[in-house]
Amino acid sequence: MKRLWFIFVLLGVKFGNILCKIFNKSGTMISGKVAVKLQKDFIKYFRGIDYNKVIFVTGTNGKSTTTNLLAHTIKESGKKIATNKEGANMMSGVATTLIKNSNLFGKFNKEFLILEMDERSLRNIVKLLPGKNLCITNLQKDQVQRNGDPDFIYQMFKNSITKDMTLFVNNEEPRSRSLEDYAGKTVYYSIEKNSKTFTKNDFYDVTLACPKCSHKIEYEYYNIENIGKFKCTNCNYKSVKKANTTIKEINYDNYTFKCGKDEYKVNYINPFYIYNYALVIAVCKKYGIISEYIKKGFETFKNPADRREVYKYHGKTVHYLRIKQENPETMQNALDTIARDKKKKAIYVGLYEIKDFKPAYTNTFYFFDCDFKKCVNNSVLKYVCFSKTVAYDTANRMIYAGADEKKIKVYDVEDDFDIIFSDLDSLKTDDIYIITGMKPYKKIKAFFEKGDKNE
Amino acid sequence: MSNIINVGWMYPDVLNLHGERGNAKAFELIAKKMGIKLNIDRIDDIDEMVDFDKYDILLFNAGELKNIKVISEKLEKQKKELNKYIKANKIIFATGTTGALFARNIERLDESSFNGLNILDMDVKERNIVIGDDLYYSFNKMDIMGSQIQMIDIVLNSVKPFGNIKYGYGNNGSNNEGARYKNVIFTNSLGPVLVKNPWLCEYIIKLALKNKDIKIRPKKVNYDLEINSLESTKEFIEKK
Repeated sequence: MKRLWFIFVLLGVKFGNILCKIFNKSGTMISGKVAVKLQKDFIKYFRGIDYNKVIFVTGTNGKSTTTNLLAHTIKESGKKIATNKEGANMMSGVATTLIKNSNLFGKFNKEFLILEMDERSLRNIVKLLPGKNLCITNLQKDQVQRNGDPDFIYQMFKNSITKDMTLFVNNEEPRSRSLEDYAGKTVYYSIEKNSKTFTKNDFYDVTLACPKCSHKIEYEYYNIENIGKFKCTNCNYKSVKKANTTIKEINYDNYTFKCGKDEYKVNYINPFYIYNYALVIAVCKKYGIISEYIKKGFETFKNPADRREVYKYHGKTVHYLRIKQENPETMQNALDTIARDKKKKAIYVGLYEIKDFKPAYTNTFYFFDCDFKKCVNNSVLKYVCFSKTVAYDTANRMIYAGADEKKIKVYDVEDDFDIIFSDLDSLKTDDIYIITGMKPYKKIKAFFEKGDKNE
Repeated sequence: MSNIINVGWMYPDVLNLHGERGNAKAFELIAKKMGIKLNIDRIDDIDEMVDFDKYDILLFNAGELKNIKVISEKLEKQKKELNKYIKANKIIFATGTTGALFARNIERLDESSFNGLNILDMDVKERNIVIGDDLYYSFNKMDIMGSQIQMIDIVLNSVKPFGNIKYGYGNNGSNNEGARYKNVIFTNSLGPVLVKNPWLCEYIIKLALKNKDIKIRPKKVNYDLEINSLESTKEFIEKK
């Protein structure tokens, strides 16, 4: 009976999709929503899915990029894949993907199903779609307003992992790696020390609690904030000596690295990306995809979700770095990018109230998870902090990092970029960095594009 | 008696959720601006025996409940020394979920439970839905503004609240916020609450000066930036 209802719902939403196409309306994303509304366990009734070839990708940072890269690379090897590349990573998004990739009777018509998964949705989806592969990019603080502390999400992951799953985890990220205890098989991926590896020894540097025994985790070195070769100060938990996939000989200038005997050339290169490449190589290895195809996939990959843009404005180079607010890692990544530029520069930071979920609030505490000190030095001529409510806290964070108060300017205005960037032309530097959350992106882009036309 | 205030920063790596290292930095920076000598020690190892006699302020930042359970078991072994510390009116400042460490009983979502140190007479229950919001309350004629990522509900028994809610969820949606017994202060306001509210940091430092009978007149500090932050956040809250 349930199967019959499923066919009825499926036919209905497919017919709806056809109507949307005829009338030129974008309704394909709605089909999954409608289907799940009509039948809660809708995704359970699709047939012909090889669960050994269902790959879930989740984690705090990098899941969209990794899913896109993995899907693109497997596709380049000639396999037929279905993926939720639009980033619709909850139950309705998965339903949409399956509707688009099945026939009228719900028979899945691709070989691989590669799904980006929202951390909180994973558990319910796995119950209905028992895929055998789970990739976790990392588990950090993010969207704390709904995710709370990382252990809240950890418990959800733990309850989603089954003994017949293969878990792909970052060997240098202590929290997600410890989920190895719950999986049938674990594949570790890793990157070697490289020119962007760093150590920390400041009095105020902090790490995290060991997920296995609650004692302090120590890092021998970091490749990214909170990710690097680690060990617990109490139990035996540490990075394994030999991961299943390890990237080495990273050359950031040439956009190349090695994995095994193979050299890879890529379009995007930073430590975040390299971990994503390592994960994709690890998954491809499982399916016997040869390195020639993987290389081809990496070389031709274009990331639709890249958050960096460069504008030319009145003779100045404006580097615009967007971050996910409430997520210290993306903020830190932006700060590290600025710190690597040793030229004289001005830094504009526009962090806003968080309005992702109700109620909107003024979380500014994650600023203190980040290391601003790297960006506070003589090469910075001016720090500009803007946004209606949060600008003062941003300025205070700069002061706590040691910034000269005389160099700080606060604009407590919302989106009035004529005021915020009013003194940009008079700055004695051609190098400008802007960090904001996603919210003002379109307005800032329009502001600088308008400037270009006026030149 | 030395004229230095000694702060023990308890388990900085384990009790580290939302940028709380800012609180330790605030003690350093605000004391410096006040012209007060202040020393901070990190107590990194949860197995280490704490020299309670050495410290005037113990800072316990927000941590995860699973780690609170382990720390509670460790500190229980030094309960006698800890009680002596509290009886001497020395200061404990705890934020966020770490309030559970000082509570009587903690009930977890999986229906397990564990005992806290039973210093603040209150009970804690883990929530299954997170509440994230601004938290605005008054204490001792001071306005305290912060954020709250509430993973627990707290019911005060005989212990008094620390503040009165002006906006936000506080302990459990009622108008009471945090708890205080002698100089053991707990607030749900997590993250670097002392950075955002340096007047609270100053209050704690002055309390430690008084306890230690240090007769130094602190310098007056300018908090214009933080006052602007407070006012702009108040304006934002009023519009919600």
